Amino acid sequence: MKPNRRQFLRLAAFAGGAGLLAACGGATPAAPTSAPAPVEAPKPTEAPKPTDAPAPAPAASGMDALIEAAKKEGELNTIALPHDWANYGEMIEGFKKKYGLKINEINPDAGSADEVEAIKANKDNKGPQAPDVIDVAFTFGGSTKKEGLIQPYKVATWDSIPANLKDPEGYWYGDYYGVLTFEVNADVVKTLPQDWSDLLKPEYKGQVALAGDPRKSGQAIAAVYAAALANGGSLDNAEPGLKFFNDLNKAGNFVPVIAKPATIAKGETPIAVRWDYNAMANRDQSAGNPKIEVIVPKSGVLAGVYVQAISAYAPHPNAAKLWMEYLYSDEGQLTWLKGYAHPIRWDDMLKRGVIPQDLLAKLPPAEGYAKASYPTSSQLDSSKKKITEGWDKMVGADVK
Amino acid sequence: MGIQKSTRWIAWLWLVLGAMYFVVPLIATAEFSLRAKKGVYSLLAYQNVFAQSKFYESFGFSLQMAALTIIVGMVLVLPTAYWVNLKLPQLRPVIEFVTLLPFVVPAVVLAYGLIKIYSRPPLLLTPSPALLVAGYVALALPYLYRSIDAGLRAIDIKTLTEAAQSLGASPANVLFRVIAPNLRVALLSGAFLTFATVIGEYTLASLLVWPAFAPYINLVNSSKVYEPSALAVISFLLTWGSIGLIQALGGRRSDSSQLAGTR
Amino acid sequence: MAAAGSSSVRLLMPSELNANGIDAPTTASRLWGVVKTWLVVVPFFLFAFMFLVLPALSITVGSFSDNDTGAFTLANIIELRRPSIVSAYSVSVRISVVTALLGGVFGFLMAWAVSLGQLPRWVRSALLTFSGVASNFAGVPLAFAFVATIGRLGAVTVLLKALGVDLYGAGFSLYTFIGLCLTYLYFQLPLMILVITPSLDGMKTQWREACQSLGGSTWQFWRFIALPILTPPLLGAMVLLFGNAFGAYATAYALTSGQINLVTMVIGQQISGDALHNPGLGNALALGMVVIMVISVAIYTLLSRRSARWLNR
Repeated sequence: MKPNRRQFLRLAAFAGGAGLLAACGGATPAAPTSAPAPVEAPKPTEAPKPTDAPAPAPAASGMDALIEAAKKEGELNTIALPHDWANYGEMIEGFKKKYGLKINEINPDAGSADEVEAIKANKDNKGPQAPDVIDVAFTFGGSTKKEGLIQPYKVATWDSIPANLKDPEGYWYGDYYGVLTFEVNADVVKTLPQDWSDLLKPEYKGQVALAGDPRKSGQAIAAVYAAALANGGSLDNAEPGLKFFNDLNKAGNFVPVIAKPATIAKGETPIAVRWDYNAMANRDQSAGNPKIEVIVPKSGVLAGVYVQAISAYAPHPNAAKLWMEYLYSDEGQLTWLKGYAHPIRWDDMLKRGVIPQDLLAKLPPAEGYAKASYPTSSQLDSSKKKITEGWDKMVGADVK
Repeated sequence: MGIQKSTRWIAWLWLVLGAMYFVVPLIATAEFSLRAKKGVYSLLAYQNVFAQSKFYESFGFSLQMAALTIIVGMVLVLPTAYWVNLKLPQLRPVIEFVTLLPFVVPAVVLAYGLIKIYSRPPLLLTPSPALLVAGYVALALPYLYRSIDAGLRAIDIKTLTEAAQSLGASPANVLFRVIAPNLRVALLSGAFLTFATVIGEYTLASLLVWPAFAPYINLVNSSKVYEPSALAVISFLLTWGSIGLIQALGGRRSDSSQLAGTR
Repeated sequence: MAAAGSSSVRLLMPSELNANGIDAPTTASRLWGVVKTWLVVVPFFLFAFMFLVLPALSITVGSFSDNDTGAFTLANIIELRRPSIVSAYSVSVRISVVTALLGGVFGFLMAWAVSLGQLPRWVRSALLTFSGVASNFAGVPLAFAFVATIGRLGAVTVLLKALGVDLYGAGFSLYTFIGLCLTYLYFQLPLMILVITPSLDGMKTQWREACQSLGGSTWQFWRFIALPILTPPLLGAMVLLFGNAFGAYATAYALTSGQINLVTMVIGQQISGDALHNPGLGNALALGMVVIMVISVAIYTLLSRRSARWLNR
């Protein structure tokens, strides 16, 4: 007795359709709520040259129009923003609450170089893997502009950003700064190191770590740079820094593990070279369990500025611009300050008296910042090149 | 008798040594997760874990992916396995080959290949979670197929099919209302196995950049001390619960049956 | 007889009847029957093609294509000679061999203990159940478990320190080769137990008895009877373990944040961003991994077929 042909065809069609759906991805309710085409997203077929800025969305004139356009895009893709870094946790929540946008947080653990790679790898991708905005170490601003990976935008408070800490054409702009410190787990380390030279002492065997991969992370590169300053180098000569870490590694004091709040607390990396804002935020968060001390080294104090930029391939350019407006508003800048990071508009805000007294009191004394060295863009470029290329030769992360 | 006794002692020795190796890390993790409050054992780490909204978001995401994977996987595998067993036994070697593929193409290589092909127009799939589901189905395929195939071979589908057809059932009815209910154990085994795979899967989720559960656990490791251990314990219980359920149901485990992508 | 399901009744000509007097199917309907039969399995194979075969093919083709022109070239394969890549393969192979050997030997011993070691039945089923579960306990949670155990502040480390043994002072570290091996063993051992137990079950007790009755000692039994029979499945299982460790990504990543130089780590870095600055090389790297996995699966299949003769699994 032949099976009913019509019913059988229905079964085959169902199986085939399901297969096709699986293949073409049309049946997933898990997709984020509405990712409609952004308002006039610049769609370059090749990298836009830095000289001609891609046309920004015409609907973004005026704050209200920008908010409208951003809300229509509905979401923002951020990358490399750990919640405990410069109080980004509160910043993200504040932004979400104020504008009701969804934020896709890509890879909070990424380093500056990873952020750049993410833009490059997702040029055609308008999905939640492509970053809209990046927050990278100072040198990466210039290099990403040269590679045509970012687009210019000048926030409303543009003029109050110091001129030497932003790109005159508006491609990248400083956001906050701090100095490198030693974050020490005082429960594990009994005698606190006070300077770079102390780190070489045998009592710190297997205890000193960087907070990132010095081939990729702005923070780690800066640490090597700072070590250079303390060991006979200068802002123009970062080589002694590599030599210092080579000595540290040979002495067995260096731990090739990326230091994070967890590894510091667990005693795997009890002495970590981290930005003061990160160290102090962690000290507060640990609340004594374990006891964290933050020490500004006696010599070799390096200040570091991070910069913001909008990706040239941003899937949600208006949301990105709104994010920037938020970051550079008084509200955003104070949020960073709460995380111990000096916001870029510090001078302006201090002058206008908008910084609350209690926040001012919590900050570390200003002397630390007085003796810090602030490298120029070109000095940072050459030192970054030297450090990222020299690291493998000197130390290497290869396992025996 | 002497030989037997010494054999037994040696056997116990190896067993106990092995058991220690297995059990000690579990105890250490559990103990570590209870040490969040200084000086006293408490469930603080677990409380913190459950207080994070990201925990629910990532777990919810992975749950959705698991559900989709199970559905798509079953829809693909069940009719195929049924048909191969019934009408196309000559396809068995080809199927064997297909089920070997996920082992030969480990998760990281699969991620590489998927991104290579599906990250550019016209086949732009990377922005959609469907690609992740497809990857999960691909990884789970061997176990799903073997599970259902074993179940099908254990029942006499030829007779069942003929009997149902002689009573006027359409092929769809035969499959879904006659065969499938007899495969309850195999289907449930496949479902739980897939569930455990997807919840524990790290490689595809992190390389295709999706906010799944395993990447979330890894992320917590950067900023928190005791919570990752708590999450590890929770993760164990979930995986073990699923696998344990399969064992309890009597599902057979074939060799080389490790869940791909979780390693 | 009119064909069932046809809408009208008509008389059939003798030419339309085959030898049994039943109406012969026309070529068209026979063709349709074949298509119907195969249609059901199309989605499965289409899926397998799109999401398993095609990626593998694409990688293979890409390995032999020039980065800019797409022409056939062996340059990518040759570029695999880069020291950092050779080193990655070397470390991956070493980890896989070590964990395959250790996992193989100790897994075999434990499997032997519960199958031929005359232990109570419940011990055997407990171990097999546990192995079934533990072989899937890998990746991120496993890494954390080992950190909690023999990390710098792990329970065992602290315990040993109290007993006077300073692991980390002596230079041991979980985040090195040795540490990773120890961690991998946690899923290698159970896999070995699961894979080799059926072979051990296939060892007939009569063989042992026959050996004893002929005056053979335990040593002679193992040397001349048991091990020769068990060698193929043992080797096959260890090759399986090798492949298993070679392809592991999540565990190594979670433990070392990608800092250890393994082939899987390098491929992962290449995916996240063009770390090798050479997409063709990335393809070649992935292809190399697939080739190694294919070889290990082939060896395992061959060896397990050989063992079936004696142990008829």
